[in-house]
Amino acid sequence: MAEKQLSEYVTLVSSDGFEFRILRSAACIAKTVQKALDPAYGFKEDQENKMTLSNINGVVLEKVCEYLYYNQKYAKAKDVPDPDIPPELCLELLIAADYLQC
Amino acid sequence: MSGRRGRNSAIRGPHSALTDFLAANNISAAEIRDSYRQRLERAEADAAAAAENGEGPSAQDVDEEEQAQAESSAMAAERSKKRKRDQDDAIAKIKKGKAAKKDAKKKKKKGSDDEDDSDFGFDDMYKKARKLPGQLENCEVCDKRFTVTPYSQAGPDGGLLCTPCGKEMKKEAKAQEKAAKPVVRRGRRKMESNRLDGVTNRGTKTLQQLCIEKLAKHADDIDEFGEMPEAIMDQLSAIFSKKRAMNPTTIKLFLQPDMDRVEIHEAAYLETENFDQIFAVVPNIKKLALRNCCQFKDSNMEYLIEKAKNLVDIQLLGANLVSNDMWIRLFSARGEDLRSFKTEWLDAAFDDEAVEALAACCPNLERLKLERCKRIGVSSINAIATLGKLQHLTLRFLKEIPRENLLNVILQVGKNLQTLCLENFEQPALEDDEQTDDLLLAAIHDTCHNLSKFRFTDHTECSDEGYINLFTDWDNPPLRYIDVNSTRDCDNANPEGPDDFPIGLGSEGFKAVMAHSGSRLEYLDISSCRHISYATFAQIFDGVQQYPHLQEINLSFCPIVDTTTVASIFRSCPKLKKVVTFGCFKVKDVVVPRGIVLIGAPKAQDHVMEQFGDTIMDFQKELMKEMERDSRIAGGRVIPVMG
Repeated sequence: MAEKQLSEYVTLVSSDGFEFRILRSAACIAKTVQKALDPAYGFKEDQENKMTLSNINGVVLEKVCEYLYYNQKYAKAKDVPDPDIPPELCLELLIAADYLQC
Repeated sequence: MSGRRGRNSAIRGPHSALTDFLAANNISAAEIRDSYRQRLERAEADAAAAAENGEGPSAQDVDEEEQAQAESSAMAAERSKKRKRDQDDAIAKIKKGKAAKKDAKKKKKKGSDDEDDSDFGFDDMYKKARKLPGQLENCEVCDKRFTVTPYSQAGPDGGLLCTPCGKEMKKEAKAQEKAAKPVVRRGRRKMESNRLDGVTNRGTKTLQQLCIEKLAKHADDIDEFGEMPEAIMDQLSAIFSKKRAMNPTTIKLFLQPDMDRVEIHEAAYLETENFDQIFAVVPNIKKLALRNCCQFKDSNMEYLIEKAKNLVDIQLLGANLVSNDMWIRLFSARGEDLRSFKTEWLDAAFDDEAVEALAACCPNLERLKLERCKRIGVSSINAIATLGKLQHLTLRFLKEIPRENLLNVILQVGKNLQTLCLENFEQPALEDDEQTDDLLLAAIHDTCHNLSKFRFTDHTECSDEGYINLFTDWDNPPLRYIDVNSTRDCDNANPEGPDDFPIGLGSEGFKAVMAHSGSRLEYLDISSCRHISYATFAQIFDGVQQYPHLQEINLSFCPIVDTTTVASIFRSCPKLKKVVTFGCFKVKDVVVPRGIVLIGAPKAQDHVMEQFGDTIMDFQKELMKEMERDSRIAGGRVIPVMG
């Protein structure tokens, strides 16, 4: 396989069409995204640098992206402050987190 | 600027003669200026209000405007005054908080150094003179007129407050103080608690974890979980139990008709009818685990027998309202199907008869755990010996058991066992001519060939010799889990135990254990095994010999364990996560590698949490150098750095 320069940013698309461009390093904290974007497997997601998450809506995906950056920021810190999660999103977010493995 | 004038602001700067004169006559320049400014502002506010009304020309507004025009000028003035008052109110409320903080800061400052010039002088001069007790004043917050008393509180802007406002202010200040304190303490307490649990909290929690914790906080507001993966349901159930949020309302969230197991780790808040619900909603239940199910009664058991036809695995902890007859009925009705039965902490019922019924009716039982049940004794032990298909056996009796009977159990059921846990067995005193009793260990050596978990604690009669014999040439694959804590002689007159034959796991026994199981061992508990020598530890954990799977080791109350021992354990066990060293007073400034938690060594604790981040690694290196210097005296060991 030809060596390809990995793009710095990738796009996550929600079920209702919202697109989130986030750092690849942050996106890959979610293991499902990491696998989908892994060049070793050659999925379509990898070629387009874009992953459509048809079971996660925009509101939830925004929170997920927030979390991914939060996780990246505090990866090496200790006694990390917990981020604020709106209770009404908790259940959906939990299912999304389970799906994304993050 | 504001808030400077507290109750005790008796110290004043140099005043001019005029100021003094005016103050003495109760005339204040500030007051005159204020009233002028107020008039000015009022006019401005009126203009602004008019403009605002013009902006949204709804019928009502226009109406109002017309009305306002019609009103006499005096009325208009009153109205605007009121509006202003409301506005001021709101602002004052916002300011209050800020001002209170400022106040506190200022006070602190005053304590540390003497008044500096900027603190008084001009600012002070332009303020209103403070009213004396007995005089009338308008409250700064609510603008009401009141009589000043010596106890009147100072407001956020330096004026005085009426009694109700003053009280409120005090209350708020107190609430703020309270809110500020415990946050810090809780954080530290949580940290210590995590440390003792062996949780090293580096980085963030997973999003799942965060959501689950949040859900537990809002347990009462959840209507339904919807489609949840089973693993997440388990986690939710666990955290609800931990937070004591498992109650008659929330239990319904966890009962879904398509489930085949129900595990509730803390059922103390559940009512009798909730237990019936379990079987009504989940008729296909295969596994039932209820801990602290205090309200589980005979009627529930009857319902269980009638409804839950697929049940094969029952775990009931603390079900003390179930009568003896009902236990027997359960076994006779469901015994054939039962594969696993666990119970703990029963004292009111569940006697030997129940265990005999269990043994007679449940021939297919593979897993049995009976712990701390007050009423069972020798006959129960004999009954258990007839359960030939047992694979996992955990027993902890509160009554004295003669050693022949225990021996019999091992001989009868030992050959299939994968788990054998015999804890705290009290046995009748030995005959005079015997001093040790290794028959039990010998029986295990001869009978058990499939063990992977072995717990044998608090036995005060088995000798080191016995352990050597057990673990030497034992036709059993290496064990995964060994817990032999507190196997030592208990004699106050001779705390060291007999010299010629050590009681409990000693040096040679420990060598045999590690030689047999070291290659697969994941968990090792040898706390209070006092007769293991320093040389043995040094030989076993020599830094060359590796124990590739060992994750957790408990060395508590092995007094000879020191810093060097712990350091070489770190080096010998690549997968190590947790080391427990309570009462090992020789463990001092040990450097704990990243990812490992060391519990119980008071001086090492401070470093435990510092084991991540690059800057800390430098600090760690520095410490290492020190350690090397120290340890050169102690035999030249080098402390490893991992990760």
